[in-house]
Amino acid sequence: MSQSCLDCAERSDRVFCDLEPGTLQEFDGIKSFQTYPRGTVLFREGQTAHNVFLLCKGRVRLSVCSESGRRLTLRIAPAGEVLGLSAALSGGCYEVTAEVVDAVEAAEIARKELLHFLRGHREVCMQVVNLLSEDLHIAYDRVRAVGLTRTRHSSPHTSPAH
Amino acid sequence: MLSPYGLDIIESCLTCKMRAERLFCDLPTAALQSFESIKYATAYPKGAVLFVEGQAPRGIFVLCKGRIKLSICASDGKTLILKIAEPGEVLGLSAAVSGKAYELTAETIDPCQVNFVKRDDFLRFLKEHSDACFKVAEQLSEKYNVACHEVRSLGLSHSAAEKLAKLLIEWSSKNGESLKQEPRLKLALTHEEIAQMIGTSRETVTRLFADLKKRQILQTKGSTLVIRNKAALRSLATTG
Repeated sequence: MSQSCLDCAERSDRVFCDLEPGTLQEFDGIKSFQTYPRGTVLFREGQTAHNVFLLCKGRVRLSVCSESGRRLTLRIAPAGEVLGLSAALSGGCYEVTAEVVDAVEAAEIARKELLHFLRGHREVCMQVVNLLSEDLHIAYDRVRAVGLTRTRHSSPHTSPAH
Repeated sequence: MLSPYGLDIIESCLTCKMRAERLFCDLPTAALQSFESIKYATAYPKGAVLFVEGQAPRGIFVLCKGRIKLSICASDGKTLILKIAEPGEVLGLSAAVSGKAYELTAETIDPCQVNFVKRDDFLRFLKEHSDACFKVAEQLSEKYNVACHEVRSLGLSHSAAEKLAKLLIEWSSKNGESLKQEPRLKLALTHEEIAQMIGTSRETVTRLFADLKKRQILQTKGSTLVIRNKAALRSLATTG
């Protein structure tokens, strides 16, 4: 996987990454490319959102946790997704915990840099709105699955937190 | 001024006094003028359905006055209330943006004023006004937060008692009531609707309320609920 977005062969297949050359060059300048081994926690539910992560390669488990430490997997995010987006935009805390399932390569972008970038690029802002809408559709599906099928004592997808 | 269903209709967004307090509505003048030209001010009585889960998206609905119940339904008819939307919220947003079917059903629980915008007009408006696009992103983020909260509550709470205690604490945290020794809250929903919010039966909710009253944790005065023992309710919310 290329460390520069400009040389990335996967770009055209990914909603967020398929940007105009000038915009892409600017994005490339604000991101830092990192690799993370399996088991790394990119961010934890309740932490203030300072960064977003554009997943270039690998998969990440998104989960929520109860006060008692039980964990419920929301979904496994594949490459191409932008993680921590809604928390970064609202200026709040991450709603979920993101943990690396396979070794991951990701572009990390500081919240402030992202907001500045979006202000300057209306078309990317629209892309972000599209991504958030997709995230929300998936979250509602999860609410439906958990809330309308689960019986009182069955919790097939929960596990104790690590 | 016409006043259907006892509502004082706000005809123009440009002169709306509530605008500054509402996340989506507080737009720059140019964007607001553009929005004003594509919106239709409509009034609905209590019990009206704005859109139904599974319907193709026609557009978005900005709630100006009143409250709206947002719910999802299983194929066996079981209903789960996700949220009671308050003025300032934009409904049908993710469906209108993505072009996928509405994920929720929206039903008024008070007489409501709603500004409707057709989907095509709204998408064009967003492309032309990046400030509005940012506000939509913020609203979507807020909704995502609510959905995650709901998954956590439904999927990880052990019992209906825990879920009810959490819901009452959440409601009492509004308007600074939680700072008081004995927070008060107006029960705007029926036991049936509360049951639909926490994924249990009406009978269970009625039994839980009776038990909380018996244990002097709650007291009711008409439709007002008084939390008499905050610590006990909090303990119930964490341990069930």
